[in-house]
Amino acid sequence: MSRASRLLTAAAALLLGALYFTPLWSIRLVAPQYPEGLGMLIGIRDISGMKENDLHSINGLNHYIGMRPIEAAAIPELRYMPWIVAGLIATGLIVALVGRRRLLAVWMFGFAALGVAGLYDFWRWGYDYGHNLDAEQAIIAVPGMSYQPPLLGSKQLLNFTATSWPAAGGILAGLAFALGAAALVLAYRRRPSASGLGAALLAASVACTSGTQSLRLGVDVCAECRMLVTDARFGARVVTHTSKVLTFDSIDCMRKHLAGIPASDVRDVWLADAAHPGSLVRAGEATLLDDESLHPPMGTTYARAAYAR
Amino acid sequence: MSTSRSTVIRAVTIAGALGVAAIGYSCRPTKPSLVTGDAAARVYVAPGQYDEFYAFMSGGFNGQVSVYGLPSGRMLKLIPVFSQHAENGWGYNEETKPMLQTTHGFIPWDDTHHAELSQTAGVPDGRWLFINGNNTPRVARIDLTRFETEEILEIPNAAGGHASPFTTPDTKYIVSATRFSVPIPNTDVPIDSYKKNFRGTLSFISADKPGQMDIAFQIMMPGYNYDLGHAGKGPSDGWFFFTTYNSEQAYTKLEANASKNDKDFVAAVNYKQAETCVANGKAKAFPSKYAHNFVDDKSRVASSEIKTSVKMLDPTDCPGLVYYLPTPKSPHGVDVDPTGEYIVAGGKLATVIPVHSFTKLQKAIADKAFETTVDGVPVLKYDATIAGEVQKPGLGPLHTEFDGKGYAYTSMFISSEIVKWKLGTWEVVDRAPTYYSIGHLMIPGGDSRQPFGKYVVAMNKITKDRYLPTGGELTQSAQLYDISGDKMRLLLDFPTIGEPHYAQALPATIIRDKQIKFFSLKDNANPHVARAESETGIKRIGKRVDVKMIAIRSHFAPDNIEGVQQGDTVYFHLTNIEQDWDILHGFAILGAENSELIMQPGETRTLKWLPKNAGVYPFYCTDFCSALHQEMSGYVRVSPRGSTVALSAGTSPKAQSQIARLQAVQGQR
Repeated sequence: MSRASRLLTAAAALLLGALYFTPLWSIRLVAPQYPEGLGMLIGIRDISGMKENDLHSINGLNHYIGMRPIEAAAIPELRYMPWIVAGLIATGLIVALVGRRRLLAVWMFGFAALGVAGLYDFWRWGYDYGHNLDAEQAIIAVPGMSYQPPLLGSKQLLNFTATSWPAAGGILAGLAFALGAAALVLAYRRRPSASGLGAALLAASVACTSGTQSLRLGVDVCAECRMLVTDARFGARVVTHTSKVLTFDSIDCMRKHLAGIPASDVRDVWLADAAHPGSLVRAGEATLLDDESLHPPMGTTYARAAYAR
Repeated sequence: MSTSRSTVIRAVTIAGALGVAAIGYSCRPTKPSLVTGDAAARVYVAPGQYDEFYAFMSGGFNGQVSVYGLPSGRMLKLIPVFSQHAENGWGYNEETKPMLQTTHGFIPWDDTHHAELSQTAGVPDGRWLFINGNNTPRVARIDLTRFETEEILEIPNAAGGHASPFTTPDTKYIVSATRFSVPIPNTDVPIDSYKKNFRGTLSFISADKPGQMDIAFQIMMPGYNYDLGHAGKGPSDGWFFFTTYNSEQAYTKLEANASKNDKDFVAAVNYKQAETCVANGKAKAFPSKYAHNFVDDKSRVASSEIKTSVKMLDPTDCPGLVYYLPTPKSPHGVDVDPTGEYIVAGGKLATVIPVHSFTKLQKAIADKAFETTVDGVPVLKYDATIAGEVQKPGLGPLHTEFDGKGYAYTSMFISSEIVKWKLGTWEVVDRAPTYYSIGHLMIPGGDSRQPFGKYVVAMNKITKDRYLPTGGELTQSAQLYDISGDKMRLLLDFPTIGEPHYAQALPATIIRDKQIKFFSLKDNANPHVARAESETGIKRIGKRVDVKMIAIRSHFAPDNIEGVQQGDTVYFHLTNIEQDWDILHGFAILGAENSELIMQPGETRTLKWLPKNAGVYPFYCTDFCSALHQEMSGYVRVSPRGSTVALSAGTSPKAQSQIARLQAVQGQR
């Protein structure tokens, strides 16, 4: 495993520590007479209201349909979930320390299995609360109606719209899983170029800020001269180490701009391919020519253009 | 190194993007603005202009009635009824204290629920407004030329006067039915002997003769909870319909135990048959004590009498008197459409709105389509009386009013909306949200033979964020909707005080020009009236001191009173001798344990005062009456018991000269 991979694994494991402080999931309830909404936060150790008395209010309302009170004490998972998460963190750190990619794969499989099992368990509790109603005590009994909250998304339960989404902890757990997945990809790929699953993931997620996206004529603005980019044969893109994307309407403008920032900031330089307007080539793979047959965007007598080698 | 760092950054970016996407999904839209077009112009009543309708809203737990103008939603007046009202001395001054007398003693508060206008030929006529007291069952009559409570009748053999005071089309009777069944007569029995000992009653109160309201007869009913009622009209004239729930006869944890049966009932009462049975001697004289309080028209002094017997009808002795119509899930409102054919019930927990047909009811009775009989009351078959059901109307249907154009409007408590549907086809044609959890709704004349229509008012139980927050206790919220078109249009949101349950409204023109502007001094028959300064004076009988005083801009006479002693009971009889519209005077004295007095022009009001300590006590006018209102004051000197200070009531030399000038001016006129 590479150092990056081990770092990511350790980060993933440590990120799971957030579950002790932030809830995993949230269920929000909005009704005409509850414009401010009620909410429930489900953590690995506790179930609580979004606002101080929300859980109390939710239980009060649920008594109308014969649902038994939602109480943390009645849910044994809340007692052993913290230990499971602790185990996941500890093993994750061991994997990072040992640095064996097969161990990482096993760890990630375990992580995924626990995630699925957790969601299934959550769904099962929702089903149980929503279906096993006390008919004797139910005041509002609508034939065929059950009150299971959705696992993900919104659902109408009588006058309430119940919306369920991961809360901060759930999002961070997802993030931890994504870091672990990235570590796995790094550990298993052949060489350090953007390829395979990792590349696909990267492309999907950073497409909107990528340097490789072709110049958007009439939309992109030159970071140096503040003119619109209008000619696909010229222009350039610079991607910095902070993932900032700078667009230029000519190579000259780019040079002028780069003179003003530290060279170490620059990660990638892409140039418009004058022979194939619309596509970009890496600076290292291009030949620069001063071509008098081309009319440049700004008054000079010739244009400096890049051609793919 | 640089590669691995950038890879870490990329990986974090992926995960972050996923997280942001998740957060984005969980965001919900905020509430949209619902008022459109010319709503502001539709509710704007220009300065000096009048509203189109008077709306009378029950005050709920403030025990009063409040009067609003529609469409502006401006509050015009609070009429004190069952609660003492220190603002004008209602229930504190000697003239009105008898109004709050009951067989339980002086009761300074009640819970008003349903405002009901008197009717002629099934249409609101603007003579009186009736209102019920739910807690210590009473009904009150308010005179609509004075906007004052003139008569209160206690309902005996009853607890929880909720199904009240709905009127027959000619206001021959108003009704009151028991929300809580109790032992009748009320005796000491175990609560768990409910089924054996507890009963309900339906009271028919003769109401069309001021000062003579009385229980015409009562009907002894099975021990259920009787909730609301409405009279038949047109073809169903002569019938009265009451909803009843808790046919389970639960006496503990009613919210669950009284919600078990799939159907409870609408009780259909043939009150013409009741009259026949009473005339034929079928009613028993039932010893029952109840108070009857009324204001004498000439003296404006209330008196209270205790009556001792009612005529009680048992359905078993009077066949054809009452029938039960099975109705789904704890019905609340029961409302009869303008034609008198349809009887609409709102089952609080029902998933449909059932509508009974009066024609089918008649046929079912003729065919004896009975399921069973409860305590002499035949239970008809559901299918034999039902005309139709409104499917999927919303959640928690409560009350229905009508626009006279073939549509019904039903309030939905749980789903917090008004649902408009068509009579006959039972299809829902429109819905409008209310803010929040509507109880009753009201269309001017909406329960009558000829609704005035135009607007529907939603009276909500929950206010929350509708107005600037005012701590933990908020006003109630009402909304006004235009119903002149196909779709309901929200026009206005306005706060209401107390907790309006039901309200009624009628065109302002019906009563606007009948309003009195002052009471005629020469007709004032109060035994302590002083029609002029010359009739004032002071008198002692034992420890009782009576002071007759006048109030006129800008003085009291007398205004210097001496010879009062510790331990005396002093009665200040104040007559406002103005004969001019809206010139009111007030009277307040330091240390009074009751309230102030407010005297309308030409009116006499009496304040009882118990001076405890020797000293000098100022009194003053509380209702800003004139430029020299601040000067309108005086003193009472209180001396120790047995003091030799002579009893005197006069004016200072300065006041005497003022009075002399005034009398000279009056003499010249």
